[in-house]
Amino acid sequence: MVELDYDIVIVGGGGAGLYAALWAAENTILKVAVMTKVYPTRSHTGAAEGGINAVLTHSVGDSPEAHAYDTVKGSDFLADQDAVDIMCKMGAAVIYDIAHRGVPFSRRPDGRIAQRPFGGASFPRTCYAADKTGFYILQTLYEQCLKNNVTFLNEWFLLSIIHNGERVEGLTAWDIRNGGVHLIRTKAVILATGGHARVYWNRTSNALGNTGDGTAAALRAGLSLKDMEFIQFHPTGLAKTGILVTEGARGEGGYLRNKDGERFMKRYAPEKMELAPRDIVARAIQTEIDEGRGCGPNGDYICLDLTHLGEEKINERLPQTREHAILYEGVDPVKEPIPIAPTAHYSMGGIDTDRLGRTPIKGLYAAGECACISVHGANRLGGNSLLDVLVYGRLTALEAVKYADEAPETNPSMAKAKDDEKRILELMEADGKEKLADLRRELGNVMMKHFGVFREEKSMKEGLEKLMEIKERARHVKVYDTSKKFNTDLITALEFLNLVDLAPAIAVPAIERKESRGAHARKDYPKRDDKNFLKHSVVKLKEDGNYELSWKPVTITKFPPEERKY
Amino acid sequence: METAVLQVFRYDPEKDQTPYYKEYEVPVEGTLLNALLYIKDNLDPTLAFRAFCRSEVCGSCSMRVNGKTKLACKTPMKELVETWKGKPLRIDPLNHLKVIKDLVVDIDKPIEKMKTLIPWLVPDPRVVPTDPMHESIIYPEEMEAYKDQIHCMLCFSCYSACEAVEDNDRYRGPFAFSKAYRFQVDRRDIETAKEKRIRYAISGGLWSCVQCQKCLYVCPKGVKPAEDIQNLRGQAVKKGFTDKPGAKKLKHFVDWIYATGQINRLYLPEEVYGNREAREKLTKAYTEMGVEVWEVPKPTKGLMKFRDIYLEILSKEDKALDLDFSHVRKIDRMVSEIFKADICTIIDRAHEEGRSSRGLISKLKGLLGGK
Ligand SMILES: Cc1cc2nc3c(=O)[nH]c(=O)nc-3n(C[C@H](O)[C@H](O)[C@H](O)COP(=O)(O)OP(=O)(O)OC[C@H]3O[C@@H](n4cnc5c(N)ncnc54)[C@H](O)[C@@H]3O)c2cc1C
Ligand code: SF4
Ligand code: SF4
Ligand code: FES
Repeated sequence: MVELDYDIVIVGGGGAGLYAALWAAENTILKVAVMTKVYPTRSHTGAAEGGINAVLTHSVGDSPEAHAYDTVKGSDFLADQDAVDIMCKMGAAVIYDIAHRGVPFSRRPDGRIAQRPFGGASFPRTCYAADKTGFYILQTLYEQCLKNNVTFLNEWFLLSIIHNGERVEGLTAWDIRNGGVHLIRTKAVILATGGHARVYWNRTSNALGNTGDGTAAALRAGLSLKDMEFIQFHPTGLAKTGILVTEGARGEGGYLRNKDGERFMKRYAPEKMELAPRDIVARAIQTEIDEGRGCGPNGDYICLDLTHLGEEKINERLPQTREHAILYEGVDPVKEPIPIAPTAHYSMGGIDTDRLGRTPIKGLYAAGECACISVHGANRLGGNSLLDVLVYGRLTALEAVKYADEAPETNPSMAKAKDDEKRILELMEADGKEKLADLRRELGNVMMKHFGVFREEKSMKEGLEKLMEIKERARHVKVYDTSKKFNTDLITALEFLNLVDLAPAIAVPAIERKESRGAHARKDYPKRDDKNFLKHSVVKLKEDGNYELSWKPVTITKFPPEERKY
Repeated sequence: METAVLQVFRYDPEKDQTPYYKEYEVPVEGTLLNALLYIKDNLDPTLAFRAFCRSEVCGSCSMRVNGKTKLACKTPMKELVETWKGKPLRIDPLNHLKVIKDLVVDIDKPIEKMKTLIPWLVPDPRVVPTDPMHESIIYPEEMEAYKDQIHCMLCFSCYSACEAVEDNDRYRGPFAFSKAYRFQVDRRDIETAKEKRIRYAISGGLWSCVQCQKCLYVCPKGVKPAEDIQNLRGQAVKKGFTDKPGAKKLKHFVDWIYATGQINRLYLPEEVYGNREAREKLTKAYTEMGVEVWEVPKPTKGLMKFRDIYLEILSKEDKALDLDFSHVRKIDRMVSEIFKADICTIIDRAHEEGRSSRGLISKLKGLLGGK
């Protein structure tokens, strides 16, 4: 067990982690390291296509206030308005900063950053870099980190967070490349480990490793998770894999049809049709499937029809969509409609922090998708996540620098590292009565069936029981690979166990939130209930393995709740 | 269900003395990545490979199939089975990189190599405002210059396929030059950084690329390192970095092609290296083996017309200034002297008669500037 020593450790090399690293590196001479389980440029931020919202100096008529209002309205009034205010006001500053560092934003003919309209926004304020915004941002931030000689612990896996109830003391991690548990001493930790939509294993747009590792570690370390019941479903994921078909496919004029060939959106959003907001389209699709009008032998998908657009337009405007449909679905959209269904896309909930990304443990911060600040409330607007990632990556970095500058040295005990070593050994010695891949598939199915697009008390209670059962059965999952070097069998198992810990944290508040708000759509309580539920849910994991639920008020400053209508 | 057999490279340095191949039967469905995940989930959890996004954006999953570099999540199993009808599918890790385990290779080295080429923007304060609330103006047309290079996702496929890497361990790698070139053509990047990049590119093997174009063919993202390398070479020559053999080689090519319509292999080493060693080698080679007739440059038919066309091409590529007319005139003179001496005719005749042309070498040597 080697001990490593830093002042600030940033866990995660996605947008949030790298931007935090950059701002920390440029503003301190403290020892900063980025730990990441995949090489930074592999992070899921690279998959973000659409764009990033911000009001720029040339956004005529728009204002940070209008952006804040749209965000709050989109969140179904569950976002904390003080945090939203900070995020929206910093928009232009972060966009110009990353543009100055080299992000190739698409430009208007006059050379200024171009902006386009996006769902839920009252002005065209989504900045984009072709259809690879997240990719370019991630690459550019990585270049800049190399320039600043940031220390990377590439292919290191966070296991546990060590704190003394008051302040953070260190971390334990597994060195994937060489094997071995390490104790890392540090004064400050920024968690930027991304989302956990992989709980819906079989139907998600997320990368294989978006397993909420940091969130689960925080939960196990006694921290609170907030608003976990809110998971955003994207309406158009490829039926077999959940891989995303961009909103652009509908934007360019694609039709959604059920098994009778009917353009069913006319019954749900007669004016906007296919272009209605994400959650409305997702629910419409799910309703069609649930009511037996789905396509295919099992009636479990809907058709996204692009055939009328013609080969030329498809090739020109939607080349990626065509390629992915052929590759991953075996369907050429020029000739046939694409089978699609809603897919788990984004986790609004996460580690409970205040408006600056601070947790109640001193020196411990969270930023990006793993955090719940909360700026997205019950429903995130497209393009707001990348903004959140950058703004809070930067703010937490500055907070951490300020804190670590003055904080005394820490002295973490070896106990956690010993525990983790034992845990890993036990995994290798388990009886193997349960097979990882099967149990994981089951977990995904339970989540989709009982905590999917629509939810209902009876079904959710059944679901929760199944989840607790899966948690029990997970003890029998065995790691067969006993080697130290690059043991992906072990990593896969650790990731799965994190999902298993997180799933009930989604289920418990979902059952108790007896209303429909944003992404949380209940059949038994179809209306929003501000009187009883205009509040954040907070989940903690007790020593006895129970999930304890409490509530916390929402910060409302400028915008009083009103009906969310588009 | 249709199945195929994958022969997968296995090597765990802790346990195995040497690598071996293990066979797995997998369904012919979806991509090669699906097949590997199928193995991991159902047949053998100990198999190690990298994968993350499963939708060709993260660059994790490059490997080789029967020697060809492929991105696993972009390669349909059906296509593989059809291409390699009946043949087994052999899955290997990327080439030129140290194997950590099975299909996982050490990519730190190419990243370190890339780092030496300053693959980041060094903003010119006259173009990029230092005030964070000021926008830097960039016209859409400007971005055309680096629209391909920015797609590089560091998958190292090109590094695996590159012939120059094979020969020269110091060679930075195709992607690294593309990453560097992206900033060479960005107006916002400061001139001093551009100078340095060229200098570092030269010491990083810029002239070692053999233009085999393999990088360009294997890149899953349409980056064209081979072309970027040519352009970097052009920049190097323009910036006056002509003291390196590679730069001289390029100059030699441009000038000799203009003068005679072909490259002069005979004279190339002498002109490029210009040292005693090169000259001695040359003399030795020709005294031993004689001069092949095609090695002596002779103006081809329609040379003048050819020169016009060639000049046009050069100016289109913005390289017309690379042409050194005083050098061309020297070549012209040399060639005409050769003809005065009627060497070609003599050599031709000698060859027809089956004799060696060995005796001519001294005459040639004189023309080549030797003693
Ligand atoms: C297909 C898709 C399209 C999207 N499009 C958009 C869009 O257009 N606009 C928008 O605003 N948002 C979009 N989003 C959402 C947005 O991309 C993400 O929310 C955001 O990128 C998350 O960034 P992050 O830095 O928090 O996490 P990530 O980019 O996911 O990075 C997480 C990092 O944590 C590391 N990590 C995780 N676990 C561990 C561990 N145990 N130990 C060590 N390191 C660990 C990983 O290695 C990784 O580096 C999209 C999301 C998806 C899935
Ligand atoms: S063209 Fe040059 S860089 Fe590209 S593969 Fe061949 S030798 Fe390597
Ligand atoms: S240039 Fe292409 S092949 Fe080479 S690393 Fe970049 S994306 Fe991969
Ligand atoms: S898994 Fe990301 S490129 Fe293949």
